Amino acid sequence: MKTFAELNFPGRLIAVEGLDGSGKSTQIYLLKRWLELQELKVYFSEWNSSELVKSATSKGKKRELLTPTTFSLIHATDFADRYERHLVPLLRAGHIVLCDRYIFTAFGRDVVRGCPPEWVRGIYNFAALPDLTFFFKSDLEVSLKRILDGRPQLKYFEAGMDLRLSTDPYESFRIFQGRILEQYLAMSTEFNFLVVDANQQVEKQQAVVRELVSSRLDLASFHRAERPSSPLPAESHKRATKVEEPIQ
Amino acid sequence: MKSAVKNHIVVPHRSERRFYGHGIPGVDLEQLAGKLIAVEGADGSGRSTQIAKLVEWLEGTGHATVQVGLKRSTLVSEELEQAQEGNILSRTTLSLFYATDFADQIENIMLPALKAGFIVLADRYIYTLMARDMVRGMDEAWLKNLYGIALEPDAVFYLNVPPEELVQRTFAKNASLDYWESGMDLGLSRDMFDSFMKYQTTMQKTFRRLQASYGFTIVDGMRPAEAINAELRKKISALLAGK
Repeated sequence: MKTFAELNFPGRLIAVEGLDGSGKSTQIYLLKRWLELQELKVYFSEWNSSELVKSATSKGKKRELLTPTTFSLIHATDFADRYERHLVPLLRAGHIVLCDRYIFTAFGRDVVRGCPPEWVRGIYNFAALPDLTFFFKSDLEVSLKRILDGRPQLKYFEAGMDLRLSTDPYESFRIFQGRILEQYLAMSTEFNFLVVDANQQVEKQQAVVRELVSSRLDLASFHRAERPSSPLPAESHKRATKVEEPIQ
Repeated sequence: MKSAVKNHIVVPHRSERRFYGHGIPGVDLEQLAGKLIAVEGADGSGRSTQIAKLVEWLEGTGHATVQVGLKRSTLVSEELEQAQEGNILSRTTLSLFYATDFADQIENIMLPALKAGFIVLADRYIYTLMARDMVRGMDEAWLKNLYGIALEPDAVFYLNVPPEELVQRTFAKNASLDYWESGMDLGLSRDMFDSFMKYQTTMQKTFRRLQASYGFTIVDGMRPAEAINAELRKKISALLAGK
């Protein structure tokens, strides 16, 4: 598997991974704002958000119809839809694409649910690797506290209740998250995770993230094209700007 | 049906069961006492007719049956139908969507039925799904891994009918050709008839390729329905008797 840079895409993909409650969504949001304020071409994509697959996923979750295999496949379908229709075209058009969770989420969760690791990885092998993957490493207790303090109603699959780890959703969630954390740690070296200490304050983490992004990417090359410096003739210039309209 | 009248019911012989690949987590293959029979073939090859006849015969001879087919899952069939109508899904997505539909039926219909000792009749199986994707340029190794969740059937019958005949049968039933069965998404030809012929020819070639690795029985679908059914019944009887 290769990264988008290795595949000569003009765009770059940055992914964040971590446990629920690790604060990764806050961090990627702050990263997105920082890049946008620099007038860069940025696109943000969230796990499990494809419009097409959404109704099937929510039906499956609501009625508790999903098994580890169908849970895995329906999320892979969702990912493929976003990958083929949004991520790849945007990366070809030279965007910085930010992903709140990427294939590693599937690698971790599906394997904890009992799917064979080679099968899961085989399914996702159509996807290129992120150019940067931030892993927000928090103590299990810190993440659990963040989630359990704020949202005491745990959803069935979120708590890993389908695994029958415990009849108590909170206990089930603890065990489930603990196992996912083990999977993340095992993948960390293999996939070059940039590990951020997620027990720190928000600002400290964001400083680390911004520092790494600006040192690893040539941010200036992702500027929106409405700049006088563009040497393109009027016709193709017009086309170039059209591509960069934010796609929702 | 003589055997039904004589009340002589064959108790199916237990067969060795396996998944094609990694399989489904948590399944004890030993428990799957039933039989799995798949019927493959293009639209118009006579699959539904044959399956209907087989169900009648099997029930008459004392066997409980269950049917599965593509796009019939509770989980995603509606969504899959919708997405296909708009032709908005890209290849990998459509492929995974079908795999989800298939997996849902394995887990919620096939496995429970096999555990209960039913004879499961599959109106199309993974081979159609794989062939369709292979014709569209998807990687065969990727598909094999994906469909490693499938159980190996006890028998697979492929009803072979040449495209020239398929087109005639389709027109005898409907006045028009189906967009997907004509492979119109592939851009083989803007002429639908032309596209249908080309697509079905390629599909048959692909089936022949799959036959080499999965070893299914090719049945001449040009004969009268009764003659075909007699052949299928003979083979299934042998299978049930463990011969």
